[in-house]
Amino acid sequence: MLEFQNVSKEFGPVKALANINFKVAKGEIVGLVGENGAGKSTLMKIIFGAYQADSGIILIDGRKTRFSSPRDAMSKGIGMVFQEQSLIGNLSIMENLFLGREREFQKCGLIDFKKMAEASRYQLAKVGLDIDPYMETARLSFSQRQLIELAKVLALEERSSGDLVILLDEPTSVLSEDEVTLLFELVNNLRERAAFIFVSHRLDEVIRLSDRIYVLKDGELVDEVAREKAVASHIQSKMVGREIDTEYYKQDDRLPFAPSPPLLSVQNASVRGRFEKISLDLHAGEVLCLVGTEGSGREAVLRAVFGMHKIDNGRIVYFGNEFLKIRSPNAAVENDVGYMPRERKIEGIFASMNVAENITSCQLPAYARYGLLNKAMELGLADEWIKRLSVKTPSARTDCNRLSGGNQQKVVLAKWRSTGSKIIMLDHPTRGLDIGAKEDVYSMIREMSSAGIGLLLIPDTFEEAIGLGHNIVVIKDGRTVERFDCLKQKVTPFDLVSAMT
Amino acid sequence: MSTFIKDFIEREKISRRNFLFASAAGISASALPGLFAPSSALAHGHGGYALAWSYRDRASAYWNAIVSGGEAYVESLGLDKSEMVNLINEASSEKSLADIKAFLAKNNGMGAIACDANDSPNARPVVEAVRDAGGFISTIWNKTDDLHPWDIGDSYVAHLSWSGEKPSEDAARLLIDKMGGEGGIVHIGGIPANIPAIERLDGLKNALNDNPNVELLDVQSADWDTTKAADVMASLLTRYGDEIKGVHCANDNMAYGVIEALKAEGITGMPITAFDGNPEAVDLVMGGDLLATVFTNPHWGGGIALALAHQAATGAFVPSEEPNEHREFYGPSILVTPDDAAEFKKTYLESTPTYDWTDRWGLSAGQIQYK
Amino acid sequence: MFRNFDIKSLMPIIVLIVLVVFFTAINPNFFSLRNFARIAIAASPFLMVAIGVTFIIVMGSIDLSMEGTVSLSAVIFCFAFLYFGGTLASGGWIALFAAMCFGMFYGALNGFIHAKLLIPSFMSSLAMGFVGIGATVLLTGGGIVRIDDDVFRMLLTYRVQGFPLMVYVAAFFLIAGLLIQKKTILGRNLYAIGGAEDLASASGVPVLKTRIMAFALAGFYYSLAGILQVAKLGQAESVTGANLMFLSITAAVVGGVALWGAIGGVFNALIGVLIVTVINNGMVVIGLPDYIQDGVLGALVIVAVILSTNRSTVKFVK
Repeated sequence: MLEFQNVSKEFGPVKALANINFKVAKGEIVGLVGENGAGKSTLMKIIFGAYQADSGIILIDGRKTRFSSPRDAMSKGIGMVFQEQSLIGNLSIMENLFLGREREFQKCGLIDFKKMAEASRYQLAKVGLDIDPYMETARLSFSQRQLIELAKVLALEERSSGDLVILLDEPTSVLSEDEVTLLFELVNNLRERAAFIFVSHRLDEVIRLSDRIYVLKDGELVDEVAREKAVASHIQSKMVGREIDTEYYKQDDRLPFAPSPPLLSVQNASVRGRFEKISLDLHAGEVLCLVGTEGSGREAVLRAVFGMHKIDNGRIVYFGNEFLKIRSPNAAVENDVGYMPRERKIEGIFASMNVAENITSCQLPAYARYGLLNKAMELGLADEWIKRLSVKTPSARTDCNRLSGGNQQKVVLAKWRSTGSKIIMLDHPTRGLDIGAKEDVYSMIREMSSAGIGLLLIPDTFEEAIGLGHNIVVIKDGRTVERFDCLKQKVTPFDLVSAMT
Repeated sequence: MSTFIKDFIEREKISRRNFLFASAAGISASALPGLFAPSSALAHGHGGYALAWSYRDRASAYWNAIVSGGEAYVESLGLDKSEMVNLINEASSEKSLADIKAFLAKNNGMGAIACDANDSPNARPVVEAVRDAGGFISTIWNKTDDLHPWDIGDSYVAHLSWSGEKPSEDAARLLIDKMGGEGGIVHIGGIPANIPAIERLDGLKNALNDNPNVELLDVQSADWDTTKAADVMASLLTRYGDEIKGVHCANDNMAYGVIEALKAEGITGMPITAFDGNPEAVDLVMGGDLLATVFTNPHWGGGIALALAHQAATGAFVPSEEPNEHREFYGPSILVTPDDAAEFKKTYLESTPTYDWTDRWGLSAGQIQYK
Repeated sequence: MFRNFDIKSLMPIIVLIVLVVFFTAINPNFFSLRNFARIAIAASPFLMVAIGVTFIIVMGSIDLSMEGTVSLSAVIFCFAFLYFGGTLASGGWIALFAAMCFGMFYGALNGFIHAKLLIPSFMSSLAMGFVGIGATVLLTGGGIVRIDDDVFRMLLTYRVQGFPLMVYVAAFFLIAGLLIQKKTILGRNLYAIGGAEDLASASGVPVLKTRIMAFALAGFYYSLAGILQVAKLGQAESVTGANLMFLSITAAVVGGVALWGAIGGVFNALIGVLIVTVINNGMVVIGLPDYIQDGVLGALVIVAVILSTNRSTVKFVK
C-alpha cells in the first residue's frame, strides 16, 4: 500500500538516500536496519513528511502522492511512534491522545471532557490498555507510555482516508524484556489494521518481529531478506559491509585480572528508598557488571559511589583507605573515580564545548598556572587521546555536538582516562550506538581493564554483561540477589533473567 | 520598573530619585498605628475636629516636606504634632478611601483632612465620602479635571496643585537674557508624556515666542535621569556643536548630567537652567555652574492644605463664600538665581520659615487653568 | 574571538557596522573622533555591567541585582572617598578598593543566597537589587553624594588620544574579562555549568563554589560600573544604576549572548553595548524626535536579536 520508487535525497553534496525502492503491504511488518548514518532516519522523515524527496515517486495504494508535512502525512494515514517519547507529562492521557484535536470535543467553547474520555477509552482498548484516561502521563511507566503513543497513532484510523502505515522508531530502546514481548504481541495483533515499519538497533528484535527486513547502508538498500531466511550475522555483515563475529564483545579476549586488594569495597551500604545492604568488591582490572531491571537500584549504587547519594547505612571504602570519605562528585573526581552517566546528551558531553574542553572538563586545575589555563597543553592532551581512542573528529577544537554518538562516547571515556581515574563507572555505555561504535566501546573497556582500571558497568544487554564482565551482580528491588563469576562458570541470559525476576 | 516610575513621577513632579525612597520599605510603617490610637485630646485645641493628612508614604524628601507643613500647622494650634493622624495609603486608592472613611467614622464625622488621593479617579469618592460623613477636606495633586470643590459643597474646601509652566518660563527668560537674546537652545526634557515635562517645555516655548532671535534647536527627553541627560547632551554636541548657547532642563537631576557632559568636553560657562530647587542644584547655582532652578515650597503646600480644611471646619471662613480662585489654586514657586541663591539656601534649606496659616492664599500662584 | 565560527556569530558586528554607516550617511558628524569619545564615555560604565551579567547569563542563570549593586557601590565609593579626605591624593584611592571589595562581597552574597539557599537566581538577585537600592536610600537619605576632586575627575576630563581616561579603564577591565572567560578555570566552568549543570557536577566541577564566584565576579564588575558612573557624573545616588538592568541584558542578548546559557561571552557583550550605545547616540545625532526614540530603539533591538542569535540552536542546547 505504501511504495517508494527510486527515491533519492541529497543534503548539499551528501547523498543521504539513493534510489530507494521500498514497499510495505497491509498486514505486513517490515523491518528497517542499518548503522547510524546509513539513512534510516532520513528515510523515515521522508515517509513522515518531515523531509521531501528530491526525486523518485511515492505511491499510496498505487496512486502517486507526496507528503508536504507531517500533518499532511498523518491525514494520509502515516503515523509515527517516536523514539524520544512525545507525550506531554503534565497532561492527562486523553489530552495527549487528542492534542490538537480538541475542537472535535468542543461544546459552546468548552471542552467536553466526558466525551473525550469516552473516545480515549475506545482508543486505549485498541492497544489493550485499561487505564483511567484522566491520569497524567508522567505517572505512567515507559511501556504504558509507549502503548499510548501507539494508541495515538492508531487514532488516525478514524481520520485518514486510507489504511494506516505506522512507523515504529526504536520503540524498544526504553523497554524491559517483558515489555518488549508485550509490545510485539500487540503489534502482531494489530496487523490487520495497519502496515508497520519497524526500525531498531536490536537486530534480534527486528528478526523476531518483522516479516521482511530491509538493510540500509550508506543511503542505499543493500539487501532485502525474508524472515525465514534472516540470519543475524549475515544481516550484520551487510550492514557494516564486513562479517562480524557474533561474539562481538570478544568474550575470549577477557583476561583474568590479577588478584589484589579491592579498589572499591561497598559494604552493606544502603540509601533509603533506593537500595539496601548492597555489598560488592571491585579490583584493579576487574569488570564488574550490575544487572537488574529498571528501577532496581543499579544506577543509585553508582551514584552513591560517586558521592551523589548519601549512604544511610554501611560504608564504602575506596582504595583500602578507611578514612577516605567521598561526599561529592567533586571529591570523587579528585580521588580518581570517574562516572559516565547514561544520558549522554544530558549528562555525558557539553554539547556546546569543543572536544578538548570536554576532555579536560574534570581536571582543569591541572591545566592552569597562576589561575590561567594553558591551552597548548590542553590541546596537546586532547590530540593525544583523540589518537589513542581514534576519535573521529576534524580537530580537537570541533564542538562535541557535531560528533556522532560513538565518538561522543569516546570523548567521555577520554575525559576519565586522561585524568588517571582508577575506578570508572559506566552506565549503559553502548546505548544508542551502532554496531561499529559498540565494538569500539568494548575494546576500550577491555583496554582499560588490562590497564588495571576497575570498571563498574551497567550493561545495555545481558550479552554485554556476560561477554564483558568478570563478575556479575544481579540486583533486584535494591538488594543483591545473585552473583556470577564469569571466569568460573558459563553464564547464560536465562540465568540472569531468572535471577532478576 | 519603568511604568512604576512613570506613574509616580507624574504625581510627584519633582525628581525621579525620590521614587526610590519607596524601596526603603518600612520607614513609613511606624506612622500607621496613629489611626486607631486613643484620641482623648481630640476635643480640645482643634475646635472639636480631628486632623489628618492622607498620602502615599513619607519616604521621600518631597513628601516629608509636605507632611512637615501639616505638622507645622498642627503645632501652630498649640498641639503636639502627633495630634495629626497620618493616613498612609501605600499607593493604594482603596486604602486611601477606606482609611479616610474609618477616620471619619471614628470621629463621628468631625474630621479635617488634607489628602492626595493617590490617583485622579479616586478623588471623587474620597471627597464624597467626606461630604457624606460631614467632614472637611482639601486635596492636592490628584483630581480629575471635572471635579471641582464648588460642585461638592463646603465639605470639599479646596484643591491645590502646582504648574510648571510659569516658573519654567521665568527660568527660560533668565536663560535667554544670559545668552544676550540670541543663539540656540536645547531642551532636556522629562518623560515626554508626563504632565510636568509638558508644562515645563510649554514654559520654555512661551518665552521663545517673545525672542525671535533665539532658536530652539532640539528637544530631547532624558527621562528625568542624570546619566541619560549626560549621554543625550553629548550626542547633541555632536549634532549642533557650537550652535548650542544655552540649555534648558526640565529638572535638576538632568541638569547635573548636562553639566558633567559639558565638563567632559572642556566647555565651561554655558548657561543652564533647571527645576526643583534641590539642595545640590542650589549649591551649583551659588557656584555658578547652574544659572537657575525653581523651588515649589512643598512645606507651605502641605501646611496650607490642612489649614484650609481645618479652618473651614471650625468656621473661620466659609468656602462657598470664597471665589473659585481660592478653591482651586496653584502653589507658589520661587526662581533661585545666583543673586539670591545664598539667601534662599539660608531661608528654605538650612531652616524652615514660619508661616502665618491664616494668610490662606498669600502664596497662591493663581487659579488652576485647565487646557 | 568567537566560540563558533559561523556567520551568525559575526552578525552582531555586521549590525554594528551597518548602524555606523547608516548614521554617518545621515549626519557625517557621527563619524568623528569627538563623537566616538562621547559614545565611549556613555558605554564605559554600561559595558562593565554588561560584562558582569554576561558571566551570569553564560552560566545559565540571570542576575537582576545590577541596579542596586551599582548604586550602592557608587555611594559607598563616594562616602569612603570623602571619608579619606575627599581627594585621590589624600587617600581617596582606598575608596576604590573599598568599592570593589564591596561589589565582590555583595555579589558573593547574592550568589550564596541563590546557590546555597536554592532560590532561583531571577528572584534572589532581583530582591538583592532592591535591598541595594533601599540601602542606598538609607545611606544617602535620598540625597546626592558629590565628589569634586579634580584628580579623580581626570578620569573624565583628561584625554589621551582623544579619549578620556575612564575609557581606558573600561578597556582594561574588558580585556581582563576576556581573559577570565577564556583563560581561567572559573571562565571554563561557567560554560560547563551553562551547558549542562548535571554533567558539570558529575565531572567534578565545584558547582556551588563556581556559582558564588561568578556572582562575586559580576558584583565586582558592577562596582567598577559604579566607580565609572561617579567618574562620569561626579556624583552618586540611589538611581546611579537606574536603567542598567534592562539595558545590560538587552546589550548582552543583542551582542549574541544566549539567555539559555553557554553561548556568547564578553566580546559579545562589548558589541551589544556598542550597538545599544550607538543607536542611542545616533538617534539624537540624526535628529530623531525624542518621542519616537524608545520605539525605534525597541524595534532595532528586536531586529538585532533576530539577526544575531542563532535561534535554531535553542532546541538542542537546553
